[in-house]
Amino acid sequence: MKSVFLLQWQRFRRAPILVLAMFLLTVVFVFFIAGIHSTNQLTVYTYSHESLGEEERDAWLDMLNESDVFHFEWMEESEARNAVATGEVSLALQLMEEDYRILLAAEEQTRYIVDNYVNQVFMEELRLREIENSGVGIDFRSDVTQAMEEPVLTVTSSSIEGVDGSFIHDERLQVLFGMTLFFVIYTILFSLMNVAEEKKWGTWNRLIVSPLRKWEVYLGHLLYCFMIGYAQIIVVFLLFQQVLGFDLGNRYGTMLVIIGCYTFAIVSLGMLLIGLVRTSQQLQAIIPIVATAIAMLGGAFWPIEIVTNDIMLLLSKGMPIFYAMDTLKGAAIYDYSVLDMVTPLSFMVLFGVVCMGVGINLMERR
Amino acid sequence: MLETEELRKIFKGKTAVDGVNLYMDKGESIGLLGPNGAGKSTTISMISSLVKPTSGDVRLHGRSIIKDPTNMRQVLGVVPQEIALYEELTAYENLKFFGRIYGLRGKLLESKVQEVIELVGLKDRQKEVVTTYSGGMKRRVNMAAAMLHEPEILIMDEPTVGIDPQSRSHILETVRELNQKKGLAVLYTSHYMEEVERLCDRVYIMDHGRVIASGTKEELKSILSGEETILIDLDRQHPKLFKELEGNKSILQALETEKGLKLIVPKGSRLLGTVFQIAERHHAQILNVNVQIPTLEDVFLHLTGRKLRD
Ligand SMILES: Nc1ncnc2c1ncn2[C@@H]1O[C@H](COP(=O)(O)OP(=O)(O)OP(=O)(O)O)[C@@H](O)[C@H]1O
Ligand SMILES: [Mg+2]
Repeated sequence: MKSVFLLQWQRFRRAPILVLAMFLLTVVFVFFIAGIHSTNQLTVYTYSHESLGEEERDAWLDMLNESDVFHFEWMEESEARNAVATGEVSLALQLMEEDYRILLAAEEQTRYIVDNYVNQVFMEELRLREIENSGVGIDFRSDVTQAMEEPVLTVTSSSIEGVDGSFIHDERLQVLFGMTLFFVIYTILFSLMNVAEEKKWGTWNRLIVSPLRKWEVYLGHLLYCFMIGYAQIIVVFLLFQQVLGFDLGNRYGTMLVIIGCYTFAIVSLGMLLIGLVRTSQQLQAIIPIVATAIAMLGGAFWPIEIVTNDIMLLLSKGMPIFYAMDTLKGAAIYDYSVLDMVTPLSFMVLFGVVCMGVGINLMERR
Repeated sequence: MLETEELRKIFKGKTAVDGVNLYMDKGESIGLLGPNGAGKSTTISMISSLVKPTSGDVRLHGRSIIKDPTNMRQVLGVVPQEIALYEELTAYENLKFFGRIYGLRGKLLESKVQEVIELVGLKDRQKEVVTTYSGGMKRRVNMAAAMLHEPEILIMDEPTVGIDPQSRSHILETVRELNQKKGLAVLYTSHYMEEVERLCDRVYIMDHGRVIASGTKEELKSILSGEETILIDLDRQHPKLFKELEGNKSILQALETEKGLKLIVPKGSRLLGTVFQIAERHHAQILNVNVQIPTLEDVFLHLTGRKLRD
C-alpha cells in the first residue's frame, strides 16, 4: 500500500503542473473576486435639480455619504439618466431643495433600501432646520450632535441572523470557501486519473498479479488523492488567513474535520466517476461538467441563501459542497455548535461511502 | 508443477478460451502458438490470476490458485503483451517500484534492480525517463520488471513484438540463459515460429480457443513426416497460377508467400515436373526452387489452414 502511495508522489513530482495550476487558480480567483467585494458599498448615481445650489448639494452629499452601505456619486443629470436607461444601474437619485426623487428603471428591492435611507437623512436634517428656524436656540444643532455622540442609553440589538433579519453575509469568506472547494474538485479528480491511466497502461494488471492485495492498490491511490486535496485546501486557507488577514475564526480543529469529510466525499465521487466511464478521455471530459454543476448547485459560486427556487434548493441538498460551505461558514461566522454540524458532516461521509462502494463495484465488474 | 484443467472463458457470450489443458514442469520451456484472437493472452491471464475463468481450474503444485492465488503470485513473473510501465519515470524508478511491490527492500532491492538492468543491457540509460526510450528498450524494461523477484515461472506474452532483430535476439538469448542456467520455467507466446523453435522444448498450438496440437517440436513435425515442402520463387505474383495449383488434387496445401509460392506435397510425389509445366502455361518465371522437410510453421499451416501471421 505504501509503495503505491509513494509512487503517486513520485509521479506527482514529475508532473506537478496540473495540481499547482489548480492551486494558483484558486488563489487568483479568491484574490480578485474577494478583492472586489471588499469595497462592499453600493454606489448610487446622484444628480441635482437646477434649483439646488452647489454648496447645498455638496452638503447633502456629505451627509448621505456618512453611510457604510451606500456611496453617493454625483454626476450630470444626463449622465445619470443615461446610466439608468441603459441598465448600467437600476436607479439614480435626484437631489432637490429639501426634497429628492428616485429615478427607477424597474421596480426592485434596492429602491426601498435607498429610499429608506435617503428619507431618513432628509427627515432628520429638515427637522433640525425647522427647530433652528423656530429660534429655540442657536446652539441646538451642536447640542444634538453632542448628545448623539455621547448617548445616555445605548441599545444594541443583535441576532444570529444579523441585523435587520438578513443573513450575515461575509462576501470574502463565501468566495474563499466556494472557490477553494470548487477548484479542489479538479485537483482530486485529476489526481484520480492516475487510476484510470494505470488501467490504460496495463500497470494496474502488474499490480494485481503481484502479491499486493487489491485493497492496498486502491488505498494507496485514494490516500494520495485525499492528501493532495486536503493539503490544497489547508494551504489556501492558511495563505489567506495569514497573509491577507481573512478572519476564519479560531475553530481550527472543527475546520480540519469539515475539510476531511468534504475531501473524502469528493475522492469517493471520483471513484464513482471512474467506475462509470470507460476511458480516461471520457473522464477528462466529464470532470469540468461535474465540478461546475456541483459548485453551482451547492452554493459555491454564490451564497445559497439568495437562492429561492425550490428545485435548486432541493438539488443543493444532494451536493457535498453545500454541507461543506454550510459547516465552514458555521465554524467561521455563525458559531455553530458541534451538534449543529453532526448532520451535515454525516451526510458528506455517507455520500462518500455510497459513491466509493458503487464506484469500486463498477470498476471491479468490468 | 503448473497445470490447467478444462480452462474456459466466455466473454459476454463469446468463447475466448474453450477447454484448455496444459501442463508445465519445473525448468521447462513451453511455447504457446496461435493466430490473432486464438485465446493465448486470455489463457495467460487466467493462469496469472488476472482473469477469473468461467470454468475449469489452474493448479500450482496440485493446489488450485483460483480461490487463493497468493502462492502463485510470489513465484510468477508476467511480461504483459502491451508495455506496462510508468512512462514519466525512469527505468530505474520503475524497477525499484516493481521490486518493492514484491516485498524487496533496501540493499537487496538495489542489487536486484542492477542485476536485471544489466541482464537486459540498459545499464547506461537506466536514469532516463521511459518516454525517451525506443520501442525495443521499453520492451526490455517491460521484461526486466517481471524478473526482479526471481520468479520460478516466467510467462511472456509476445515479448518481442515490434522490435528490431538485434533487440529480439538479445531478449531471446537472455530468456534462454535464464531457462537453461537458472532453471526458470518459461511459458512463451509468440507469432514468430523461429523464436519458439529456438527457445521451447514443447509447444501448444491454439486456434479458436482450443489446443489443436501439442507435443515436442519433433513430435509436432512428425505430423507432417509424410510430406515435404516445396518453396518456389517467382518473378512476380501469379494469382491464376496459384489458383490452379491450389485446385490440384496431388498438392495438399498451397500458399502464397512474399517471394512466390509454398506447396506442401506428399513425400516423393515427384510433382516438380507438373509444377513447371503449369508455370510455363501461365508465363510465370521460376527463379528458384527449394525442397525442404516441413517446419513448425508448415505444421501450423497444415493444422489451421492459416498462416501464423497475416
Ligand atoms: N476483455 C475482453 N472482453 C471481450 N472479449 C475479449 C476480451 N479479451 C479478449 N477477448 C476476445 O477473446 C478472444 C481471444 O483473445 P486473446 O487476446 O486471448 O487472443 P490472443 O491469442 O492473445 O491474440 P493476439 O495474438 O492478437 O494477442 C478474442 O476474440 C478477443 O476479442
Ligand atoms: Mg495476445
